[in-house]
Formats: sequence, C-alpha cells, structure tokens
Amino acid sequence: MKKRNLRGVVVAGAAAAALLLTSCGFGGGNTGGNDDAGSPGAVTTLDMMVPSYSDGTKALWEKVIKDFEAANTDVKVNLEMQSWENIEGVLKTKIQGNKAPDIYNGGAFAEFAAEGLLAPATDIASEATVADFQPSFAENEKVDGTQYGLPLIASARALFYNKTLMEEAGVTEVPKTWDELHDAAKAISDKTKSDGYGMPLGNEEAQGESLIWFAGNGGNFGDATNIAVDTPANVEAAEFMQKMVKDGVTQKDPGATQRTPMLNTFIQGKLGFAYGLPQTVGQIKTENPKLEYGIAPVATKSGEPATLGVADRLMSFKNDGSKAGAVKKFMDYFFSADVYSEWVSTEGFLPTTKSGSEKMAGDETLKPFLDMLPNAVFYPTTNPAWNATDGAFKSLMGQIATGKSAPDVLKEIQAKADAAK
Amino acid sequence: MSVATAPKRTAKRASAREGGSFLAALPWIGPALLLILAIVVFPAGYMIYNSTRKISQVGTDLKGVGLDNFAKVFADPALPRILLNTVVWVVVVVAFTVLISLALAQFLNKPFPGRTLIRMAVIVPWAASVVMTTTVFYYAADPNYGIFNKFLTDIGILDEGFGFTKNAVPAMAVAIVVAIFVSIPFTTYTILAGLQAIPNETLEAARMDGANRWGTYLFVILPQLRGALAVAVLINIINVFNNLPILKIITGAIPGYSADTLMTYIFKVLQFDRRLDISSALSVVNFAIVLVIVAIYVKTVKPMKEV
Repeated sequence: MKKRNLRGVVVAGAAAAALLLTSCGFGGGNTGGNDDAGSPGAVTTLDMMVPSYSDGTKALWEKVIKDFEAANTDVKVNLEMQSWENIEGVLKTKIQGNKAPDIYNGGAFAEFAAEGLLAPATDIASEATVADFQPSFAENEKVDGTQYGLPLIASARALFYNKTLMEEAGVTEVPKTWDELHDAAKAISDKTKSDGYGMPLGNEEAQGESLIWFAGNGGNFGDATNIAVDTPANVEAAEFMQKMVKDGVTQKDPGATQRTPMLNTFIQGKLGFAYGLPQTVGQIKTENPKLEYGIAPVATKSGEPATLGVADRLMSFKNDGSKAGAVKKFMDYFFSADVYSEWVSTEGFLPTTKSGSEKMAGDETLKPFLDMLPNAVFYPTTNPAWNATDGAFKSLMGQIATGKSAPDVLKEIQAKADAAK
Repeated sequence: MSVATAPKRTAKRASAREGGSFLAALPWIGPALLLILAIVVFPAGYMIYNSTRKISQVGTDLKGVGLDNFAKVFADPALPRILLNTVVWVVVVVAFTVLISLALAQFLNKPFPGRTLIRMAVIVPWAASVVMTTTVFYYAADPNYGIFNKFLTDIGILDEGFGFTKNAVPAMAVAIVVAIFVSIPFTTYTILAGLQAIPNETLEAARMDGANRWGTYLFVILPQLRGALAVAVLINIINVFNNLPILKIITGAIPGYSADTLMTYIFKVLQFDRRLDISSALSVVNFAIVLVIVAIYVKTVKPMKEV
C-alpha cells in the first residue's frame, strides 16, 4: 500500500514539474504543433508581432489579416500588438525562449541578422515583391550583401510651427537656421505665455531629436561598420542644443520630456516650434483642426537641407524554417499595391514600394515630407551595435539638459556603443 | 523544538524515525516543495547561471565568462550613487511608514463612533493597484496640468508649475511619499493586530501601578508589539527594496542614473543596454543584499523570540 502511494506521488510530482517547467517558457522549441505543415489541408499558424504606430494600427492589421485568411485558408495569423517602449524587450524574451515571432515589425535588425536568426528576404517574399522596393530602401536592409528586411514604411521629420504664436511674438520669418530658430523660439518664450521650442530628450525619442540636430550640422550616428557618436560635428550640435535649453527657449525639463505628450502641447497650440511626423498632420486634423500651423524644412546650422529619415521593416525569424512558405504568401499579399498603399496611407507614412508610390503620388499631406526624403539621414540600423547605441541615447542623452557637459554625454554614449561590439 | 530537548541517546533513533516520517509526509508537502522548486529555486538558479554567461544583445547565450560580469558591475561608475539612493530609499520609507503606522494603529485601536469606516478607509490604498495610485500622484505633480502644481500656484507658493517628477532629488522625494502612502495600510493593520493581542489586564495593572500614558506606552505596550513590529519592518524592507513600479513611473523619465535604485537600474540595463548577463549579475547582487539584510535583522532583532 505504502509503495503504491509513493509511486503515485512520484508520477504526480513529475507531471506537475513538467507542467510547471513548460508553462514557464523554458521548455524550448516551438510547441505550436506544425509537424505536418507541409501536408495538404494542414493549417500553418504564423505568429506576428507588431508595434502600434497609432491608435488605428491594430484595426488596420486585423483587417489585412482577415482578408488574407479569407483568401488563404491554410494559413492563420496570430497578431500580437506591443508598444514601442516594450516590443524589443518582449522580443528578446521570446528569442530566449525559442519562440521568436514568424513576422516581426521592428526598427533595428542587424544584430538578429548577424546572429543568423533572420530568414533572407528572398525566402520570405517572391522575386516580384522584393524587386518592387525602392532601391535606396532595399539597400538599407542589407547586412553583408544579403537583404533581410522588407521595408515597411518611411518617414521624415519636418518643422511644425505655430503661426498664431509667431505673430504674437513678432516673428515674421519661418526659421531656416539654428540661430534663427533660437531667436524665434526666444521671442515666443519671452513674449507669449507659451514655450518656444519643444525638445523631447526623454527616453522615448532622445535618439530621434538628437539625430535631427546632428544631421543639421552634417553629422550622423555612423554607418554599418562604425558607430560614430562622439564626433566634432555632433558635439557642436549637442552644444547648441544645450544652449537652447540654457537660454530657456525650450519647454521645462527637456531631459525628461517624452515626444508624444510634447507634440500634444503643440497640437493644443501651446508650443511655438517642434519637429513632427506625417502623422502629426492627421492628429492635428482630428484633435485641434483650428490650429494655425505650417510645415517647413528642418532648421540646420547653415540652412542646407537635412532631416532625420526613419524606415521600419518587416522581417521573419527563421525558427525551424518550416513556415517560410506561409510567410511568403502573407508578405506577397501584404505588399500588393492595393493592400499596401491603403495600409501606408491610413497610417500616414511614406510608401517604400514602387507600385505603392505610384498609387499614392497625389497625396497632398505627404508632399512636404516626400520632398525632404532625398536629404534624410537614417539611423545606422545595419550596424549590429545600433541597438545598444539607441538604448544609450534613450537613457543618457537627456543629461545635456540637466547641466552635464555635452562632450561628456556623447563620450558616455559612445562608450556604451563600443562596449556592445 | 521537541527533538532538541530529547535525551541524547534517543536522538539518533529520533532522527531515523524523522527520515521515515519525511517520506510519509512527502505526499502532503510534495506539491508545495515542487512549487517552491519551480517558482523560487529554479528561477534563482537560472539567474545565477545567466550572470556567469555572455549573452548577446538579442538574447542568445554565447559562452561562459566566469565572474566577468560581476567585475563589470563593481567597476560601474554609476554604482555608488545607485547604492546610496537605494539605502536612502529603503531607510526613509520604512522608518516613516512604521512611525506613522504606529500612531495610526494606536488611534484606530481606540473606540470611537465610525471607527469601522475609518478602518476601511485606511485599507483603500492597499486595495488599489500600486501602479494606479502612483500614476495618480505622477499626474498630480505634472508641472503643466498637475492638480498639485495648480494648487500651489493658485495659493501663490509657486509662480509656475515645478517639475517635481523631472529632476532626481524632488522626484525621489515624491516617490518616497507614494511608497509610504501605499505601505501604511499593511503596516498599520499588522500593528493593530499586535495591539489587540495585548491583554487588557496588563494595561489595567500598569494603570494601577500609577504609570502615566507615555510610560505605559513605552514600557508596556511597545515591548509587546515586538513581534508585530518585527514582521512589519522586515516585510517592508524587502518590499521597498524590491519595489519597481513606483520608481519606474515617477523617476523613469529622468535621464542618466542619478535617480535610480538598484532595482530600477537593473531594469534600465535590461531595457536600454539590453545586457541580460549584466542585469543578471546585478540581480544576484540585489538578491545577496536582501539576504544579508534579512540575516542581520533576524540575528539582531530575533523576531521569532517570545516576549
């Protein structure tokens, strides 16, 4: 009797342990059960993880997936939404647990490619789809000559200015250079109750704001092989940013200011100047259509055009490689001109495919941004150390607003980037 | 323990019997043991294992590096400030929480009309989610539209809103206030339970002996609260030390590391630097500190000792 008891305990215990361990996510391997993915009639399930660009992103993807599933009954897509703040952390956890998503929408991708986790573009999209991307964007998706990402969106920054506040402060010209921006912002700060220039150096977007200023002085963050943050051009730009803060022409505490709430103050008409995105136009339309504002090129040191360009991409983690066919079906469907152009225009981004551009050529809202794209500086997303550089900017750059010397801050960021090699 | 007092010659037999009774007890304690293994021992072991590895930024385990990660952690120039912040954070929050809770519990122990209602009101901050409570405080302290700043400017103390949550020192102060606020309910109720366990006869005897109110409190009531206080302090220390949500919400946007405790720093290393290995090493350090604090506390205060 006693013996039987003991055996029962051992069996029950082992079962409980197995249950606990696997549910912890340490079991390893995909438990999705697609062993027979190749056989006819079987359904392949794709895990798709995407960030939200706007409140409408989820519905937009859900519609794409619903239509896709209706046309392809053998593929099911599980959509998972994450905020930009969390998505990379979630992804890393999933990679560690061998549960990387089959389709992933992200910014940086070089280190995933460098570690051999990503499927090459030609495995996850048909030749026609791959050939449809604008060459400059496709080039930006290559690591060691192999393209991994499928460029999803492009976007550029432009200077949004509040006409009412400018008038109130007696500023007649839209600033084209740093000095003009400084003086115009100072006039608004001094003569109106609003802040002159919005500088979001909090951990949401410090890297974006920094690169806009660096690019305005001919600087950048480096290239595919070399992260170069601590350069004379960048230091000069960072020192000018610091001057803006010291002279009190920005909002208070720029080091702890996040971009989203700051752009909201612009939309409410309480900020003279801020760098915004194509989506900002749509936000103003829905939230405060009465705002008197204009869009101008980024103010640079000498007045030469330069701006920050952002390109995000879809990529696919190989996992065991059994799902490449299903991923290909999805990508080909998504990047077809009609589906893609509807998605991009609803989100307010610039298209990256040739067919999409043709379809959207007449869009007035996008014109000022499209004009700036040729002079855009991009993040070095093809550098495996970019992720770490990005993180360092987010957590450290704001210190220039709290009084730490600009060269020291850039040195600190450069050190973090170098440590990631 | 009865075994300790048993005569020496029977000790061996007793322990043999204990071994047998352990097997017999296994069916009953087995599930609990498994649970402890799975949710405490295994993750802790995994954390220690990770702290000795080099893990790439995307999360692949590259190789073992021994204690290299710990060397990096201790060479970190940001560490001294972070440790100082951690100490201030824990000491101030726990001290104020216990003092305020002592007073509050004393008050709630007195019979007065509406006592039940007040007692329930005290428990509310505990019932609400910490994230929610903290977010309310965070928005109230916002320089542009926070109600707290609005109040201070309206009554003329401030000319314009002050960024309470935008700079290291004031933001830490706000976080400390919030932490005290959310720690009070548990502490108060623990002390209240201790107060109610004090027999009325003791207090009557003290009164008969002519002790005044303070004398009674210091020499009769307080010593009898020892057990309750010990539990309250210990649990608060661990809780506050490991608290992330309050600091993450209040000080999370501040650049650099001047407003970080060990806990939020671990989080930043994970989120921004993407160093799973380094943050594991930091977590091990964190874990060790908690163990040491608890050990010192148990050794000196002897919370389990009967009064």
